Amino acid sequence: MACPKDFDNSVENKWCPGCGNHPILQSIKEALAQLGLAPRDVLIVSGIGQAAKTPHYLNCNFFHGLHGRALPVATGAKAANHSLTILVNSGDGDCYGEGGNHFMNAIRRNLDITLLVHDNKVYGLTKGQASPTSDLRMITRAQPHGVILEPFNPLAVALALKAGFVARGYAADTEHLSMLIQEGVRHRGFSLIDILQPCVSFNQVNTYQWYAERVYDLAKEGHDTSDFMAAMVKARQWGDKIPLGILYRQESPSFTDRIDGLKEGPLTGRAYDPARLHKLLAEF
Amino acid sequence: MGIDITITIGGEAGQGIQTVGQLLAAVCREAGLYVFGINDFESRIRGGHSFYQLRIADHQVRAPRHRVNLLIAMDDATLRLHREELLPGGLCLLNSADAEAEEPVRPIPFFKLARDAGGDILANTVATAAALALLGAPGGMLEKILHRQFAGKSSKVLEDNCTAARLGRAAVQGIDCSCIGAWPESGRKRMIMEGAAALSLGALAGDCRFAAFYPMSPATGIMMNLAAWQDRFPLVVEQAEDEIAAANMIIGASYAGVRSLTATSGGGFCLMTEAVGLAGISETPIVIINAQRPGPATGLATRTAQADLRQVMHAGQDEFPRFVFAPGSPEQAYETTARAFDLADTYQVPALILVDQYFNDSLFTLEDALQAPEKVSSRTIDDASQKNPSDYQRYALTDSGISPRAVPCAGETLVMVCGNEHKPDGHSTESAELRTAMVDKRARKLRGMASDMRPPTGAHPEAAIRLICWGSTLGVVAEAVELLRADGVDAGYMHFCDIWPFPGTAAQAALAGAERLICVEQNSTAQFAGLLRQETGIAVAHTVLKYDGRPFYPLEIVNAVMKEGR
Ligand SMILES: Cc1ncc(C[n+]2csc(CCOP(=O)(O)OP(=O)(O)O)c2C)c(N)n1
Ligand code: SF4
Ligand SMILES: [Mg+2]
Repeated sequence: MACPKDFDNSVENKWCPGCGNHPILQSIKEALAQLGLAPRDVLIVSGIGQAAKTPHYLNCNFFHGLHGRALPVATGAKAANHSLTILVNSGDGDCYGEGGNHFMNAIRRNLDITLLVHDNKVYGLTKGQASPTSDLRMITRAQPHGVILEPFNPLAVALALKAGFVARGYAADTEHLSMLIQEGVRHRGFSLIDILQPCVSFNQVNTYQWYAERVYDLAKEGHDTSDFMAAMVKARQWGDKIPLGILYRQESPSFTDRIDGLKEGPLTGRAYDPARLHKLLAEF
Repeated sequence: MGIDITITIGGEAGQGIQTVGQLLAAVCREAGLYVFGINDFESRIRGGHSFYQLRIADHQVRAPRHRVNLLIAMDDATLRLHREELLPGGLCLLNSADAEAEEPVRPIPFFKLARDAGGDILANTVATAAALALLGAPGGMLEKILHRQFAGKSSKVLEDNCTAARLGRAAVQGIDCSCIGAWPESGRKRMIMEGAAALSLGALAGDCRFAAFYPMSPATGIMMNLAAWQDRFPLVVEQAEDEIAAANMIIGASYAGVRSLTATSGGGFCLMTEAVGLAGISETPIVIINAQRPGPATGLATRTAQADLRQVMHAGQDEFPRFVFAPGSPEQAYETTARAFDLADTYQVPALILVDQYFNDSLFTLEDALQAPEKVSSRTIDDASQKNPSDYQRYALTDSGISPRAVPCAGETLVMVCGNEHKPDGHSTESAELRTAMVDKRARKLRGMASDMRPPTGAHPEAAIRLICWGSTLGVVAEAVELLRADGVDAGYMHFCDIWPFPGTAAQAALAGAERLICVEQNSTAQFAGLLRQETGIAVAHTVLKYDGRPFYPLEIVNAVMKEGR
């Protein structure tokens, strides 16, 4: 039986004590074990930021690349071997800021991966500047007069782009988050899980207590995950009440399902055949 | 010297100028003749002026000419712009409804004849047939090509084209033009292809299975070829959202276990720069083709240059090993591209290939058919090749600097890859000792890489005056040297395809004993001459530089060499 401990390793954890990333890490381990996956079965791709350090604290295969560029790396890896189970750990800056174009296009591709965005509404690693999801008027050392940009709404954008699995988790609710991750991995196609993650060092607005007073479980409200318009309404809800759970779910053929040439199996398993090239050369 | 004639077809973008060139080339190929074509066009889809120059010979030709025997002017602007290029005795067929015109212009109503045959679109076929008739090509050869070309289309399309061919031939009846004396009925059919095709085929010969790209002239053709061949190979071609994505996608694919390619031009390569560094530090093999055009920024989108040498050599912050190649012929491009995949895989480094618009869009005849390699072997390891897969270290410190590379999720081996400085196991580190050890480990690969670099190649290696070139100018320089020699100048040349790690010892040997070294480049600061001096201490006496976006013509080089005094 797979067990969360299989994913432990001895690497020194560099996150601040109390950081929301700790329970997220635990949720990932639990979800992977629940899914019956072993370290050898899992590939984690990440960019740069506090969130992107996650794979170092997990015993598994990983590719820790550039700031903002995790999704293209995951796209290439999936194209090469579509049998891979890929999770992407990203931050709100990494994914919605530096990598915003890739976020949109990974959704358009319906890339069969699970994207976990540790959304602390701040740039943690660079010490507290505003991020795309920072609330209006949030004061930081870089935005001393408060944030004047409207916050980016990842869930609404993902829905608008017809993402097939759109969910919001909360770092402190590990059991719920683990369930979301399992559902996300099981979903065939692109899965977005935006995870509300308190940053105890740089975000004094969206704290554990602030969230505790506001979050509620959509499932308990009888939310219909096949109702696109209802999902859009929930995606836009922010402030006094913040919904958690699966907002929308709808499967359709994934990126690699749609590539005819992959029907014969992953590219990694195919062989070079001189006869094919010989035939093509003869046409010149 | 036997047959060596040059035709220029000019007109507006959208008039199918290239089609005429390609049809003529196909007929020449059928007759066993050699062709060389250049494609000159503006950054627009309709209007303006573009031309295709086709050189036809009964021997190998690899350079454009500045004078032409036959000018086919689909509009008045072509006549105005190219009139001076006409050789004595040359002829111009001008699209015109007039009955007469001043010598050497012959009015031919190309578009009217096309409409008679079925529509404006057939003007290409009318013009091709007229040109072939003037060249004395036996009738029926064009029809044979048309049959082949339109095999899949409706019979009406073929019929109309054949009618257009007949009308085109008839229109030039009685015009005397004995450019080609005896037209060979048939001969050995040799491969013809554009430079871009040689690169695309080379990628397949290197077992490339994934290619990502963002369209940018003059690199797009390489990817269009691969996209068209996807169904015939284990190959996926993906149009990325931008060049940053393209470069990172191929890194991901390569990490997961397949050889991967992207192609772009300088501007797109700028965007890929950070990823080149990621390939460097994560030791992920990738191949990037930079098809150069003049810059900076958007520069001249459809024209040619060799000004990105320093860019690709230094792209990415800090220091890491890479390969840089600059092939000069389709044969070299095919082989070098395949080799780049193999060397990138062997040394786990990025391999960068420099070509340019002139090379990619030019049409070449190949003396010998390209051969598919019998076998392509991957350099990755798996569980079976290790005593204990759980001890695997992606960045094991080795004497060669090469750490055995495994692919993820293929067994018990966990493959941990990181773009941050890392420990041998792939986890990031801040350790000063390990940082130094990893920089040194990566740098150690340069020794092996250098030993795989090939020396420059050339002709007349003992000559007093030696021209130095790299990349696409090979054919032009080689012809310039022959012209110089015909004039009694003791000239030779050396061409560099393998550029980095610089083959310094080989360069010194190849250039030793020359009285005068002249470096020929398509940039304004003689980038290669600087590199040569940096790596060998050899200073060239002169440089011949051109950076107007147009290709070199052999005579320009001859004149420049003569001007410098013998
Ligand atoms: C190209 C590039 N630009 C900037 C940086 C600096 N940088 C590192 S992490 C980061 C922001 C991280 O924010 P986020 O993605 O929200 O992650 P967090 O640390 O909050 O988890 C920035 C700007 C970088 N590493 N690379
Ligand atoms: S700075 Fe914030 S996000 Fe980063 S580790 Fe500390 S608490 Fe977590
Ligand atoms: Mg953040």
